[in-house]
Amino acid sequence: MSKVLTEEKLNVVNTPVEKVDGKALVRGKPVFTDDFDLPNALTVKILRSPHAHAIIKSIDTSEAMIEGVACILTYKDVPHVIYTRAGQGYPEPSPYDTFILDKKVRYVGDAVAIIAAENENIAERAMKLIKVDYEILPAILDYEHAQDPDAPVIHDEPEISGSYDPKHNIASHYEMEIGNVEEELKKCDYTIDEVYYTPNQSHAMMEPHTAISYFDPNGRLTVITSTQVPFHARRILNRLFGVNCRVIKPRIGGGFGGKQAIHVEPYVVAVTLKTGRPAKCVYTREETMTATNTRHAMRFRVRAGAMKDGTLRAIELWGLSNTGAYGEHALTVFMVAGSKTLPLYNKVKAVKFGGDVVYSNTEPAGAFRGYGAPQGMFALDSALDELARKIGIDPIEFKLKNSIREGETSPIFRIMGEGREGVDQIIRSCKIEECAIEGSKIFNWYEKIKRPRIDMKKKVAHGYGVAFAMQGSSIPAIDMGGATLKMNDDGTFNLLVGATDLGTGSDTILAQIAAEVLHTTVDKITVYSSDTDMTPFDKGAYASSTTYVSGNAVKKAAEKMKKEILKAASELFEKPVEFLDLEEDKVVCDDGRSISFAELQTKLFYTFNQRQLEVTESFVSEVAPPPYLVSFAEVEIDMETGKVKVVDFLNYIDCGVPINPILARGQVEGASAQGIGIALFEDHIMDKNGRLITDDFFTYKIPARGDIGKIEVRFAKSYEPTGPFGAKSVSEIGLDTPGPAIANAIYDALGIRMRRLPIRSEELFFEIRKKYG
Amino acid sequence: MRVNIKINDKNHSIEIEPGEMLLETLRRLGYKGVKHACSTASCGACTVQIDGKPVLSCSTFTAAVDGHEVKTIEGFSNEGVLSEIQKAILEEGASQCGFCIPGLVVTAEALLKENPDPDQKEIIEYLKGNLCRCTGYESQTRAIMKAAKARRER
Amino acid sequence: MINIKEYVKPDTVQSAYEIGQMPNSLYVSGGLMVSQIKSERLERLIDLKSLDLDYIREEENYFKIGANTKLSSLISHPAFSNLGKGFIKESIKEIGSVQIRNMATVGGSIAFRLGWSDVITIFMTAGSQVEIYKGNFQRINLEDFISQKVKGAIVTEITVPKIDGKCVFEKFAKSNFDIATLNLGLRVSLDGKFVKEARLVVGSRPMLSQRIREVEEFMIGKEIDKVSNEASELIQKVIQTGTDIRASAEYRKALSGSLLLKALRRVAQ
Repeated sequence: MSKVLTEEKLNVVNTPVEKVDGKALVRGKPVFTDDFDLPNALTVKILRSPHAHAIIKSIDTSEAMIEGVACILTYKDVPHVIYTRAGQGYPEPSPYDTFILDKKVRYVGDAVAIIAAENENIAERAMKLIKVDYEILPAILDYEHAQDPDAPVIHDEPEISGSYDPKHNIASHYEMEIGNVEEELKKCDYTIDEVYYTPNQSHAMMEPHTAISYFDPNGRLTVITSTQVPFHARRILNRLFGVNCRVIKPRIGGGFGGKQAIHVEPYVVAVTLKTGRPAKCVYTREETMTATNTRHAMRFRVRAGAMKDGTLRAIELWGLSNTGAYGEHALTVFMVAGSKTLPLYNKVKAVKFGGDVVYSNTEPAGAFRGYGAPQGMFALDSALDELARKIGIDPIEFKLKNSIREGETSPIFRIMGEGREGVDQIIRSCKIEECAIEGSKIFNWYEKIKRPRIDMKKKVAHGYGVAFAMQGSSIPAIDMGGATLKMNDDGTFNLLVGATDLGTGSDTILAQIAAEVLHTTVDKITVYSSDTDMTPFDKGAYASSTTYVSGNAVKKAAEKMKKEILKAASELFEKPVEFLDLEEDKVVCDDGRSISFAELQTKLFYTFNQRQLEVTESFVSEVAPPPYLVSFAEVEIDMETGKVKVVDFLNYIDCGVPINPILARGQVEGASAQGIGIALFEDHIMDKNGRLITDDFFTYKIPARGDIGKIEVRFAKSYEPTGPFGAKSVSEIGLDTPGPAIANAIYDALGIRMRRLPIRSEELFFEIRKKYG
Repeated sequence: MRVNIKINDKNHSIEIEPGEMLLETLRRLGYKGVKHACSTASCGACTVQIDGKPVLSCSTFTAAVDGHEVKTIEGFSNEGVLSEIQKAILEEGASQCGFCIPGLVVTAEALLKENPDPDQKEIIEYLKGNLCRCTGYESQTRAIMKAAKARRER
Repeated sequence: MINIKEYVKPDTVQSAYEIGQMPNSLYVSGGLMVSQIKSERLERLIDLKSLDLDYIREEENYFKIGANTKLSSLISHPAFSNLGKGFIKESIKEIGSVQIRNMATVGGSIAFRLGWSDVITIFMTAGSQVEIYKGNFQRINLEDFISQKVKGAIVTEITVPKIDGKCVFEKFAKSNFDIATLNLGLRVSLDGKFVKEARLVVGSRPMLSQRIREVEEFMIGKEIDKVSNEASELIQKVIQTGTDIRASAEYRKALSGSLLLKALRRVAQ
């Protein structure tokens, strides 16, 4: 892999350092939440609603209190505090519309009772003995009918707050317009007006949601949990139970946004508070699939217009989003569908975005990698592809001509933020031209599009599609991360960060950043992350913010540590700091003297100007520099079955300087696979009562090894001046392009436009039959 | 009921429930590298070897393993040096969250024993029952290719 | 864990059958399917592993496969895997994964009578017979065993005739690691260019695998190169299919036609 040219000479950053937690992971060490056994721990199980919408008329647990059951908690036994499980910063932009347990259940899988027993067997037997009398209410299973005049009201609790219009099942509403879309469309030579759908998608992380709670020997409530947001979890648990606690995140077996919300923690804490005993809850795969979160399903009507010369003039995205039973991330995910797609085409004269986010009696939607951008970009990029073909212009040329450049801005950055106004920003790094032009060469685009698409003899078609995307790096003016560095007398450092490594490798890249500044190596940096009692605050792992925000915090802390080291050495050598510098684990003086970090801190501990070198720094982003991505897809379609195979998928990305090229590549490859999943494989199917049928890996097919053709990643030569060592985010953007790139490629192959994801072979087959016989 | 199972070259005489799954038994005995992810024989995270063959411990009755030999990820993890497979997984960034990795390593060990020089297609075919949600599989294929080469050259 | 009272391992077919007569008992072979059962009533599992039914024996005109033979053993057996010019090896490899083929047994796959079973389609295509024990040993066509819903019997052996014609297996699934949306097996022996004998089996309709006799008969005597389109149209007319989460009945009908075209193309090669 070629190294990326940067403005700085780098030793550790931009090198493929092995993951700091890697050895433990490849050896199968007990590092995940469920691997911790606590003596005397209770097993916690959740009784869940079989009905999509019902009121609990009565609940009788008396017969379930069999031997070995420690407690059974219903809505009568837990604090009646309204909150949101969203797991966001404070104050949350999501509505407060959820209780730990409620008298009303709003989807199949909603929690009804918490059972704690000596073992799983007893807990399951007890669960079956709980008698619940439900008054079944009419349910909304199709979110497009949530606003029907006779639709039942899902949230009628008086305590609700922050919800837009719960009486009409509207959790959030948003709209904005710049210029006049209607007028501009009239002036266009070509226009398009189509509707696009993206589905619910399950995170399907390999590790199910898991949490443990216990009182430590001093009586401090401690929660070990598979979470992306330990600090938010602590704050929310405090709000619910009025108890301070310590939250520890060990290794996480994947999150993708699915572990941002507060799922299991309140259940185990409720049991520990009630019984005084340790409590562990491990979700089954079925619970993980049916009773946590999904991606918001969305419908977008896109109207767009352009001139004969390919100048894009106006875009409107008008949407409807399904937040399911509760409004977690309702407004913010919806807004991102516009705020992280529309600024890419900043040259339009008018742009409009808006719509409703509605409740329905389905699994609550939540944060999911991409966070609305994949939904918005499927609609927008597909529509632009359609428009390009109408005009008769190459889609790469069309999208590139109208996209944003370095030094430019978009008014949308200021207008649309995280559920509120955003932040003005000038784009300081944007290599989208390189991504498109160099990418098209590597993909061989202009040669490939001359090839015949359909082989009628073999009944096979090939097609080529391209999609453009942008994302952000952090939520500006909100996201904050802290970092503490401590020097030890063996010359190593402890890096303490609140940042949450959910498998992404953030512990590693943060160590790389510290090592770079401190002229040391990653093996000399021991990282401790995500322990609310030990590490400084960090917002957690979401919004593509860890590299950018936590990375900048670590860089600031390391720079301060460098100053502290130089100051101490200056005192020791009796030389001004200007004559001193750091070099390979030591301080060097221009007169030839030097002292190793180990010797220096040893002296500082025992014999000289005694003190511990330790620093803490925080970073809040002022801007959210977008990464950019151009993806090229080649599909092969079996015309006899409608089956689509992505045989080649090339990503050319501008993520600034990749701190760790191997880990950055892995982020893009993994996101592509999840995007291929949403495009072709992953399907939520419900029965008529609202029960999810595709509730395991047997029926819900995430792409398997043989389903993935080739995924390739190339990095643009880019440097983001505001990022740590030139870095921007990389983790989410890869999910934005597979949907549109694949749909565009299918159109290229067959002339059939699929406007609904996932693209099912069955639907495509009948379209092919219609068109080709 | 009582069963005798050799786990990672160590004999165990274990008291089990008749309907217990090998995954449960192994985790109870402390072999936490064996992962529970799906329960429907659909993901491969719980893969162990029985008599040298990779199987799914989530769908294997412990009672049926009486008298057999089980090898888990712990049995492939020397405390000192990493195996070629583990090393290559690290170098290629093929472990992100790491939850699927024990099952992958155990399966890949069997692959390289059966076929020391697999091509890309054979690797994908042999490991197709090992799902991974993080990597998109590309880095894992690269890693196994690399490990096979390193092992051949050992 | 499934809640049962005992797990027994009889060492003769007769004793296994006797224990099997006790209420709430179930035979277990590879364990893959039984481990998924969520029955409150189940009390007893009868493990068939100790019955010495793990073998592949080659006779003059056929192979005898012990019911406890793992699917992976079918692939690794040099002679049997090549049956039908590599038919067994190619088709069994389409099933599950390495792990699943190391667990699933031929007998278990047949005894469970699952609609989506590839094993049943493959062995029906090969024209297999099943030996069962139900107080005494009986031998019946696999096809009859499947359709007659024989209850309470232990499948002990499968007999597969040696095939001189060409055999192919086609499977359509959403994912490369998935059960079939539809599977199809075709065995054709030719007399020059003309179809002499044909056996066509379609499974995962989603109902149980079934021979499609109308199409078999239609093909006999016809030129193999010219029969495709009409056979494909005919199968779509005569086949019975159903709708489930994987596909609609209509799509399955269409798939049967498409898979037959693919199979015929391979046979004609």
